[in-house]
Amino acid sequence: MPDNLTKVKILTAFEGVPDSRTLTCYEAGGGYQALRKALALPPSEITAIVKASGLRGRGGAGFPTGLKWSFVPQDSDMPKYLVCNNDEGEPGTFKDRYICELSPHMLVEGMAISARAFGANKGYIYTRYEFFEEIAWLRTAIDEAYAAGYLGKNILASGFDFDLDHYEGAGAYICGEETGLLSSLEGKKGQPKLKPPFPAVSGYLGCPTIVNNTETLAAVPWIITHGAEAYRKIGTEKSAGTKLFCISGHVQKPGVYELPLGYPFMKFFAEEAGGMAAGRELKGCIPGGASAPILTPAELQDATLDYEDLAAKGSMLGSGAVIIVDAEQPMVELLKVVVDFFHHESCGQCTPCREGTGWLANIMHAYVKGEGKESDLPLMHNISQQMMGRTICALSDAAAMPTQAIVQKYQDELKNYLQAKAG
Amino acid sequence: MSIAITINEEEFTAEQGQTVMELAQQHDIYIPHFCWHPGLSIAGVCRFCMVEVEGRPKLEIACNLPVTAGMQVRTDSEPVQEAHKWALEFHLINHPLDCPICDQAGECGLQDYYMQVGKYQAQMTQAKVLKPKKLDVGVDLVLDTERCILCSRCVRFEDEVTKSGGLGIFDRGDRAIIGTYQNKRIEHNYTTNLVDICPVGAFTSKDFRFKKRVWFTQEAQTVCPGCATGCAIDLAFNADLKRYYRIKPRFSEVNAHWMCNFGRGMYMHLNVEQRLLSAYSAAEDAHKPMLKTDTAHIVQALAEQLQQAQQVALLVTPQYTVEDYRALLAFFVGKLGIRNVHQWRSRQEDTEKFDGVLWRGDQNPNSRGLLEVLAEFGIDKQQGNEFDTLAAGNYDLVIALAPQVLATFADIETDLQKLQELPWVSLWASAKQVLDYRYQQVLALTCFAEQRGTYRNYAGVERQLHAATSPVSAEIMSITALVEKLAACCKAQEDEHGSS
Repeated sequence: MPDNLTKVKILTAFEGVPDSRTLTCYEAGGGYQALRKALALPPSEITAIVKASGLRGRGGAGFPTGLKWSFVPQDSDMPKYLVCNNDEGEPGTFKDRYICELSPHMLVEGMAISARAFGANKGYIYTRYEFFEEIAWLRTAIDEAYAAGYLGKNILASGFDFDLDHYEGAGAYICGEETGLLSSLEGKKGQPKLKPPFPAVSGYLGCPTIVNNTETLAAVPWIITHGAEAYRKIGTEKSAGTKLFCISGHVQKPGVYELPLGYPFMKFFAEEAGGMAAGRELKGCIPGGASAPILTPAELQDATLDYEDLAAKGSMLGSGAVIIVDAEQPMVELLKVVVDFFHHESCGQCTPCREGTGWLANIMHAYVKGEGKESDLPLMHNISQQMMGRTICALSDAAAMPTQAIVQKYQDELKNYLQAKAG
Repeated sequence: MSIAITINEEEFTAEQGQTVMELAQQHDIYIPHFCWHPGLSIAGVCRFCMVEVEGRPKLEIACNLPVTAGMQVRTDSEPVQEAHKWALEFHLINHPLDCPICDQAGECGLQDYYMQVGKYQAQMTQAKVLKPKKLDVGVDLVLDTERCILCSRCVRFEDEVTKSGGLGIFDRGDRAIIGTYQNKRIEHNYTTNLVDICPVGAFTSKDFRFKKRVWFTQEAQTVCPGCATGCAIDLAFNADLKRYYRIKPRFSEVNAHWMCNFGRGMYMHLNVEQRLLSAYSAAEDAHKPMLKTDTAHIVQALAEQLQQAQQVALLVTPQYTVEDYRALLAFFVGKLGIRNVHQWRSRQEDTEKFDGVLWRGDQNPNSRGLLEVLAEFGIDKQQGNEFDTLAAGNYDLVIALAPQVLATFADIETDLQKLQELPWVSLWASAKQVLDYRYQQVLALTCFAEQRGTYRNYAGVERQLHAATSPVSAEIMSITALVEKLAACCKAQEDEHGSS
């Protein structure tokens, strides 16, 4: 493999290390040195380093992290907030919880550094309600960090204050959308907010707020320690650094893998994950969580795991949730599960999403029972088309994109299903 | 700062901070919408008002789209028309389509837009989502959550205008419903605004529903006579039947988009069963009801009493127009030199109340106007109730202008009782209820809906009345017309006396 695709352990540095969650262990492995280094730098320098590193949001959208921080108005006298989006809910995704399991301090340290970069003195980690153990681990890490002086007033005698709290979600997928998360954090119903204004200008309680994914924030200490150039050298030009990939489905070795971005999909699938489970055959792969359009085996042959290649193939890197679909999986069932999920999770604010997700689910329910019509397929395509880019947040697109992909790429199978049911 | 933009290739000058929707409304450019309302914050949830902006990859919602220099907007391109059609179809797939039994029919956004941008063949063949119907959620409110399109206007009205926060959206997705909080009802004085702003038939008015299909009504643009605020209103009536059905607010600087429930009741006293339809005079037996009498006879009798009386007084309520007061005072004060003019009002302590939104305790539409006209005739007064002063006076003729809306006077029954004990009273009124008492005579007046004229509200702002219908009976007339008749009668008497 070329240098840029050589595996580096950044987020999984503590894999296999006993007691890796403890402060002692984290410090022994060099933890909190990045914070010391960052506190000695001018805050703008931290942003500059992160910008130069090419780090992009790991929650799914892939927005450049340093650029996002630079949108926080520096002349505002309102308090600024940093919120960690740890509401990992995209079906197929289990990477952020892995960070909480391995190195919760890496996230805490990353948050303290990032907060310093744009002047936030208060932060929240917003964790998915169902992550009972992870929540306990995070709370312990926060307590330890306070006791050691890495959080709170005048951190390491730098004059910088940063308070960090933990907040549990209430179990809604939509609260993984950053403004939905902020509504929930404010104690309101988890509904995305109309943009503009964007959270960097008017977020939590109307104050400038940055919401970053757990994996994004956890990468920051390494970048500060090793420098932007070192991070940039990993991965591709537009997709720098490493990413956690969680592979699930009928593979030999499902799990979380840290790989340089740009890594060949087939190599990952065959070598790391061990290929298909015995007697199974690859039918398709959803490369970035349930909202990513499915790719066929033919499309997967030369696919690389980065933002640009998957986008060029009409899908997306998303959260890095690689769902392997085997030949025995009926696509009608898969599509029904996908549309049911988004129907259940639509917040109901925007009409195309509220009504469209329900409509798609209705059609699929009838279809699975054999009560569908061939004309349902173009109808589902059209409904999806009108759900895309029409709403406040991306949930509507998230429901529409995989629907269109399955309807288009597996239409023969879907048609045959109807005939088989009728026959 | 002004910004030049184009909409459908036509150039417009917009203000910095304005949205495309606001600019379009200002120039009557049609952009369909449900959740946007000029009196409420922007929700951006119906996703109906899609427009195309040159150089932007996606369609944008006009309601939350700030104008920028050189922006080129299209509201009529094919993608926009397609988006509007689909937006409507999304709104309608779970709507019950019960127009034949829905009171909103005829003034429903869904119906109107279907004709304007829809006209598609419905594609949804599965069962619709069922939701609670016919919910009694508060004063004058019936809620049908199945018809609701979740635009959230009502929720925002409760949060932003009345600040009562009585409504929320519960559950999510297509199960979401508008509702009140547990064991709470919406019980303020502005609830019917929720019916007005609801673009569909989710909120209907208990008072209005099933009374009249809206296409059988016309609307007169006039002013609410219910209090000193003087909200601009649309008064719905049927001209053939001479019946009034409801009052809705019309936008004006005074009341913005709203009005109170109390004011909405100001159509009830206009209908024929509440009205005094002709003149009456006292029966010979004082215990018997008054007798219906020809107006000319009554005016003649009044003219005669005016000649004989030593002490004449006027008792005037502030519920008539500036023009009527001028005609009245020009004759009685200007010509006859009568200086005993007294105000008749409700309790003073009530008149100073204000609810912080629109409603005022001074339930007279023309308090300012009355005082100003009195001053024009050299009678300077402060606002106050002088009923007792009049009652205690030793008058052998009192001409009393009763309130148009009797209910606005807290002590109206006592007042009318006291009035009938005075030696000689000519009561000018429009409510039939005055016939429960005995006066020497009663003359029938028109109501605010039957005449033009001016009120001056609490702040001195002129409010113009416009007639909706002709008077419900040929025997009733305005104060101005009555005064003219009376003046003519007096002149005839003088001429007669002069010649004899």
